Amino acid sequence: MKKKARAKELEQLAEKLVRFGLKSGADEVEVTISDDREFSLDVRLAQIENLLEAGSRAVGLKVIKDKKTAFAASSDLSQETLRRLVKNAVARAELANRDECAGLPLVFSENSNTAALDLFDPEIGELEPDRKIRLALDTERIALKDKRITNSHGASLVTNEVLTVLANSKGFMGSCEQTFCSLSLGLQAGETDNKVEDYWFSTERFFKRLEPPELLARKAVERTVRLLNPRKIKTQAVPVIFEPQMTAWLLGFLFACVSGMAVYQKATFLAGRLGTRIGNGKVTVIDDGLVPGRLGTRPFDTEGVACQKTTVLEKGILRQYLCNTYAGRKLDLPSTGNADGAGVSPNNFYLVPGSLSAEEIIASTERGFILTRTIGHGLNPATGDISRGAFGLWVEKGEVVYPAAEVTVSGNLENILKNIEAVGNDLDFRTAVCGPTIKIAELIVAGE
Amino acid sequence: MNAFDDTFKFAATDLRKILDPALSRGGDFAEIYGEYRHFNFINMEEDIIKETAETISLGLGIRVICGDKTGYGYTNDLSLDKIRRAALSAAAISSGKGARSIPRFQPVRIKRALYPVKEPFHDTGFSQKIELVKKVYLACQKSSQKIKKVKVTLQDHVRHVVIVNSAGLLARDARPQVRLICTAIAEKGKRREIGFSGGGGRVGLEYFRDVLTPEQIGKEAAEEALTLLQAVEAPAGEMPVVLAPGHSGVLVHEAVGHLLEADFNRKKTSIFWNKLGKKVGTELVTIYDDPTIPSFRGSYAVDDEGTVPRKTLLIEKGRVVSFLQDRLSAQLMGSSLTGHGRRQDYTCIPFPRMSNTYIERGEDDPDDIIKSVAKGIYAEKFEGGQVEDSGKFTFSISSGYLIEEGRLAAPIKQATLIGTNIDILRKIVMVGSDLSFGLQTGTCSKEGQEVPVTDGCPTIKISLMTVGGQR
Repeated sequence: MKKKARAKELEQLAEKLVRFGLKSGADEVEVTISDDREFSLDVRLAQIENLLEAGSRAVGLKVIKDKKTAFAASSDLSQETLRRLVKNAVARAELANRDECAGLPLVFSENSNTAALDLFDPEIGELEPDRKIRLALDTERIALKDKRITNSHGASLVTNEVLTVLANSKGFMGSCEQTFCSLSLGLQAGETDNKVEDYWFSTERFFKRLEPPELLARKAVERTVRLLNPRKIKTQAVPVIFEPQMTAWLLGFLFACVSGMAVYQKATFLAGRLGTRIGNGKVTVIDDGLVPGRLGTRPFDTEGVACQKTTVLEKGILRQYLCNTYAGRKLDLPSTGNADGAGVSPNNFYLVPGSLSAEEIIASTERGFILTRTIGHGLNPATGDISRGAFGLWVEKGEVVYPAAEVTVSGNLENILKNIEAVGNDLDFRTAVCGPTIKIAELIVAGE
Repeated sequence: MNAFDDTFKFAATDLRKILDPALSRGGDFAEIYGEYRHFNFINMEEDIIKETAETISLGLGIRVICGDKTGYGYTNDLSLDKIRRAALSAAAISSGKGARSIPRFQPVRIKRALYPVKEPFHDTGFSQKIELVKKVYLACQKSSQKIKKVKVTLQDHVRHVVIVNSAGLLARDARPQVRLICTAIAEKGKRREIGFSGGGGRVGLEYFRDVLTPEQIGKEAAEEALTLLQAVEAPAGEMPVVLAPGHSGVLVHEAVGHLLEADFNRKKTSIFWNKLGKKVGTELVTIYDDPTIPSFRGSYAVDDEGTVPRKTLLIEKGRVVSFLQDRLSAQLMGSSLTGHGRRQDYTCIPFPRMSNTYIERGEDDPDDIIKSVAKGIYAEKFEGGQVEDSGKFTFSISSGYLIEEGRLAAPIKQATLIGTNIDILRKIVMVGSDLSFGLQTGTCSKEGQEVPVTDGCPTIKISLMTVGGQR
């Protein structure tokens, strides 16, 4: 079915369900329908391992009656099932309690020009399977040429075409077509009992923008072999440099702590801290849903509220929480266009880069630890405490001297943000939550 | 009776109409996996029932295996035309000619009832479930004035599956699952701490009367948060670690279980691939994975490939005895099936997974284990853990205590334990006689697929381990 016709069909179904919800007694109804085409390929040791191709649809419903909310969802799109789910939801809403903050937003996005946001690559739906297979095979083959690589987790190529339609009883009707593609490669180096492993990846909206296989493979090899022959290090407090992926990880935790949902639930140590200093002057963090072509870009959130650019931290001062309509009402703040289902999610959430290169930051470090990957859980939004298993490189006199294993890093998010000594210039939007290389004045690194 | 039976009442001829195109390009094996899941959800916070939800997940996945290659297609449009199209997508993994004949379908006989439910949640009205949620909430809130925030969620679902394959297998299962969780936030001055508790499994309403009461769940969550208000920073560095019984099973799961999954060993990415029959730990270490423990969250009557599972001995007195197998790995490794082929849902290819994993009880008195440590930590509850194939793993302590002069001292704040699995298995120097299992709330994630699991262990002493605290 042609794109336009598909969107039309889903829009009609969404409108019908909204009308049916109102007829069944709901005061307000919101309907989301998604149509996802998925292609996924894993190759390993020069052979195809898994090949998946599929299409699926799903419906999500929210009904509000007397300020009481009920949700429903289904991957069974038969009329009978959907009507039953709507009726059940209206009946179930009665069992919930009245909540003055419940209800649809009052103002909706008028951004109908999603083309300007550069979210859809028509090439992805047209790609020949052979071309995708060749790309994945090439990527792995280039890496395996390096004799230090002793085994492979394989290369994967995934593409998605997603059409989302959102309709509600306030008359909002929006649709958004997006594509995603990713190429990744995981490797091992060393012999069985002394193996190390790492991976590299590229995720884009446009197939042509994926990192070329040579570059991706080289990066995966470099990241893996640099971990060979690790040493244990002594437990100590030292400067710690976060590679961009690690800054992204730290920002993911910051997002959980500035999420309006966590704030109104008092589940974050940053509740009640608007306008106060939580980082030093080097820290400016932005959430921007409107950067063309980026992974976290979208015209409107899942409630139909326009996405925007929000300054969350301005030179260390906490300026805004990221809210959906509900959290916004709870906190007497505006929605920032971050609704995602019943919760909130980041759009493009990033730390504004500085001027130093990663090399300059490393060179400026007399002794320290470069954090390259973490493993495990160990993030507590209620306190800001962090404790994670870590992989990294030991630095002496401005140079990497050896990798360090069986290390843990621990600290507190607020202390970390207040002790950022340097911010790099290497922000690359590789993921929706992202940041450049940063250097923290001191963290506890535990080893022997 | 229900939408599942209506939807998946395939005639044998229909099954052939799907399996034939699946094998039309010469695959060795084809399988149809049909699934219907019905979820219910209740959330209570800020003293109100804030929202409820009902979700239906319906779909069908088709897998074709050709040598060590897998083709997969799925659809949630169950017209024969769309299903056949999914079958052709899966068939594309092979590029020969199809001529495989499919034998008569033989239903798999299930001998043991693993879900002895008296009052099924799916037959229980929302009002009654809301009462249960409220009991947990109030018990937690009333525990102390320091409890400032409570959140209780109840999730229940039934997952009906039908599995049919080109070897003539036909299996059905209907697995109930319940999870009741309470989160509490306690405040004292500027300090704020989170406590957590919960329970469930493949159980009915009676479980929350006879086995674990809602009041217990609420109080436990409150107590954990209140204890953490008193907690001191965990130490950093290497020291002896005593693992509390039950929850510490996550160590077995992360440090050992994952790397005994057959796919990682077939691919030689796991550190265990060349260690079958070899000694990797002390005599005290015996590890099982058992999908047949009645009512447990990780149990199932047939796995997601239709295999009747068995209790599987993985490590016996420190020696690797077997791996957790799915159909593909067992075939390629020439091993017998253990019934550990699981998948998150119909959109996913199955692979070897754990179910209920535990370290077998030993002979040490748990008190003697604590007494044997002059200075170390006692790890009690965990947020979870992670492992990589090279054997490096971590797990995160959410609550625990310092051990000083053989006694439990101050509670400690969050800390991370890190190690390499074989190293740890060699450092297990005492194993208690008090085997128990963790909360029936655990979920394991592998390659993006989540499945319910349980793990267990007795009190264990690890002679030396790296602890990542803040002092």
